[in-house]
Amino acid sequence: MSNNNLLGRRNFIKGMGAAAGVAIAAPAMAISEKADGVKWDKEVEVLIIGSGFAGLAAAIEATRKGAKDVHIFEKMSYFGGNSAINGGLFAAPGTPMQKKEGVQDSVERMVADQMKSGRGVADEALLRHVAEHAVEALQMTMDAGSEFHPYLQQLGGHSVARTYQTTVSCGAGITQPLYKECQKIGVKTHNRSKFEGFLVGEAGEILGVKMRENYHFGEDQPGKVIKIRAKRGVIMATGGFAQNIDLRMAQDPTLTAEVGCTNAPGATGEGMYEMFRLGAIPVHLAHIQSGPWASPDEGGFGYVSNYSIYNFPHSMAINRLTGKRFMNEIADRKTRADAELSCRDEKGEALPPILITSYKDSKKHPNTKKVIKYNVGWKFDTIEELAKHFEVPLKPLKAQIEEYNSYVKSGEDSQFGKNMTKAKDKYIQAPFTVVRLWPKVHYCQGGVQVNTEAEVKDSFTGKPISGLYAAGEVCGGIHGVSRLGSCSIPECMVMGMTAARSMMKA
Amino acid sequence: MKKLNIVLALVLTGLVSLSAQAVELRDHHKEVIGKDCKTCHDNGIKQFPSDQACLQCHDIDDLAEQTARSEEDRWQNPHNNLHYGKDLPCQECHGEHKPKKPMCSNCHTFKFDKHKE
Ligand SMILES: Cc1cc2nc3c(=O)[nH]c(=O)nc-3n(C[C@H](O)[C@H](O)[C@H](O)COP(=O)(O)OP(=O)(O)OC[C@H]3O[C@@H](n4cnc5c(N)ncnc54)[C@H](O)[C@@H]3O)c2cc1C
Repeated sequence: MSNNNLLGRRNFIKGMGAAAGVAIAAPAMAISEKADGVKWDKEVEVLIIGSGFAGLAAAIEATRKGAKDVHIFEKMSYFGGNSAINGGLFAAPGTPMQKKEGVQDSVERMVADQMKSGRGVADEALLRHVAEHAVEALQMTMDAGSEFHPYLQQLGGHSVARTYQTTVSCGAGITQPLYKECQKIGVKTHNRSKFEGFLVGEAGEILGVKMRENYHFGEDQPGKVIKIRAKRGVIMATGGFAQNIDLRMAQDPTLTAEVGCTNAPGATGEGMYEMFRLGAIPVHLAHIQSGPWASPDEGGFGYVSNYSIYNFPHSMAINRLTGKRFMNEIADRKTRADAELSCRDEKGEALPPILITSYKDSKKHPNTKKVIKYNVGWKFDTIEELAKHFEVPLKPLKAQIEEYNSYVKSGEDSQFGKNMTKAKDKYIQAPFTVVRLWPKVHYCQGGVQVNTEAEVKDSFTGKPISGLYAAGEVCGGIHGVSRLGSCSIPECMVMGMTAARSMMKA
Repeated sequence: MKKLNIVLALVLTGLVSLSAQAVELRDHHKEVIGKDCKTCHDNGIKQFPSDQACLQCHDIDDLAEQTARSEEDRWQNPHNNLHYGKDLPCQECHGEHKPKKPMCSNCHTFKFDKHKE
C-alpha cells in the first residue's frame, strides 16, 4: 500500500464518475409540468419513489391499510439505498428489551436527548411523533423477519441504552426482510426507474410523475420517459444528497471532493430539489454531518468506521507530521472531522492522521480481524516499526505516548480534556493496531419540510401540497444541527408508515 | 489532483465509446453467442441487455454455490451477499464490452481473484 496516496483508487474512480456524469446528465433535465391534456402511459394506486427504509415501510403499510396496487420505483439497478448499507442500529423508547434489562425510558426522554443534540432547532413535534411510533416500526421489522442482537447499546448522546442492532450489524438485516415482505404481499418493485419530475393538476395538486425507464446510473443510455398517473398520490422517499458534491458544496464549501462519502451512489438529491421547484420549504440544508471515524484506505463506511467508533475512547489520534495528538478522540463529530482535515504536510497536501490502539484492547471488536485481514489496518510489534511505516517522527511520538499514558493513569487529559473514564487501565502499549482516518460525508439533516402527517408543506400557502408525501432522509429539520446515532431508522420507517396512513385516509 | 481526474476521465470516456464496437468476448461466451449480439442484447442492439439477459444461461443459485465462502466470510459471496442477497443485477459487476470492478469494492477491499474485469 502507498502511504502517500490519500484516497487512492477510489477517489480516482469517483472523479471519473463525476466528470462522466455531468456530460450525460446535461440533456436529461428534470422538470415538473402541468398535467392538462397529458396522455398517461400507466396508472397506479400508490406510487413510492425510493426503496430504502422509508419507501419499503410505506409500501408495506399502504398494503396493510387496504391498497391493492402499490408500486416502488428505484433508479438504481438494486434496491435498498443507504438503508441497505447502514449500520443496523435502531433506537426506540419503551421496548421489550429495555423492560427486560430494567432500563427506564420513555418517549419524553428520547425526545429530550434528541432536542439537546439538535441544539434548539430540532422539530419537537416530529421527534415526538417518531418516538411514539418507533416500537411499531421495530415490530414491523420483526414481523418481516429481522433479527437483533440480544443486547441493547447506549450510543453517544443517548441518556440510556435504547438501541437495537441487527445480528448482521447492518441495515440489510432490515431492508432484506422488508423487501421480501413487499414481494410476498404483492408490492410491485421497479428498478432502473428514475423519477424526473411531477405532473401537476389545475389546483397545484400532484397527479403523477415522469419516470425514466431502463435507466442505467452513470451510463450513457437515454432510456425512455413515461408518464405515470398516481391515483392516491406520491410518496417521496429518495434519501439524502451526500453523494452530490456540487449540491453539498453549495451548502458547505468545505465538503469538497477531497472529503469522501459513506453513502450509496444514488444519494444525489434530485428528488428533493424537484420538490423545492414545486414550492416545498427547504430546511437546514447546510447541516451536513461528516463521520470522523472513516478511513481513506477503503470506500464508503467499510470496516474501519465501526472499528474506530468502538476504539476511539481508548486510542490516540496522531498527526503524522508532528507525531503528536491533535484532538480529543471522543469530541463531537464536527470537531473531530475539522481537526482531521487540518492534518496536512508541508505542501498543504492531505496527510491522513493515524489512530493508535493497543492490540489487546482493539481486538475485542469483531471488525479488528477483518480490518487487518483486508489491509485497511495494520498490526505492529514495536513503536519503531509503526513510526517507520507511517513516516512519523519517532522521538515526539514516543514522548506523546508516554504523556498520554500518564493521562490514562491520572484519569485527566490535560492536552485535550478527553473524558478518560473508558480509557481506564488501557495504556497505549505494544503490540499496536493502527488505522488511518479521514472524514467522510455521512448524513444530510436538511431536506423538505413535512408535518406529522408526512405531508409536504408549500412555501407560499403554508398548506400541504395535495397528493404529495415525503419520508426519510429527504425530509429536513427533524434532527436540527446534529442527528443522534441510530435515530434515522426509526424516523425513516415511522414517517414512511405515516405517509402511507395519511394517503390511505385522504 | 482534480485536473488530473478530469483529463483521465476524458481519456477514459473516449476509450469506453470506442470499445462499444470492440467486443472482447469471454472464452466461454464465444461458442454460445458467436456473432449474434441479440443473444444478450434483448432490448435492442443499442441498449444495455436487460437484467434478465444473463439468466437465460446462468443460474443464480449455481453461481452462488460456486462463489460461496467460508462461514466467517459467508456474506462476501458476490452472488449472495449481505446487502442485496441474490438480487444484484449481473451488470453491476460484469461487462462484456467494458471492464468493471466488483461492486463490493465501493466500500470493501476484499479480493475476488477470479473476477474478470
Ligand atoms: C453507511 C451508513 C451507516 C448508517 N448507519 C446508521 C445506523 O446504524 N442507524 C441509523 O439510524 N442511521 C444510520 N445511517 C443513516 C440512515 O441509514 C439513512 O439516513 C437512511 O438509510 C435513509 O433512508 P431513506 O429511506 O430515507 O433513503 P435511502 O435508504 O437512501 O433510499 C433512497 C432511495 O431512493 C433512490 N432514489 C434517489 N433519487 C431517486 C430518483 N430520482 N428516482 C428514483 N429513485 C431515487 C436511491 O437510489 C435510494 O435507493 C447510516 C447511513 C450510512 C450511509
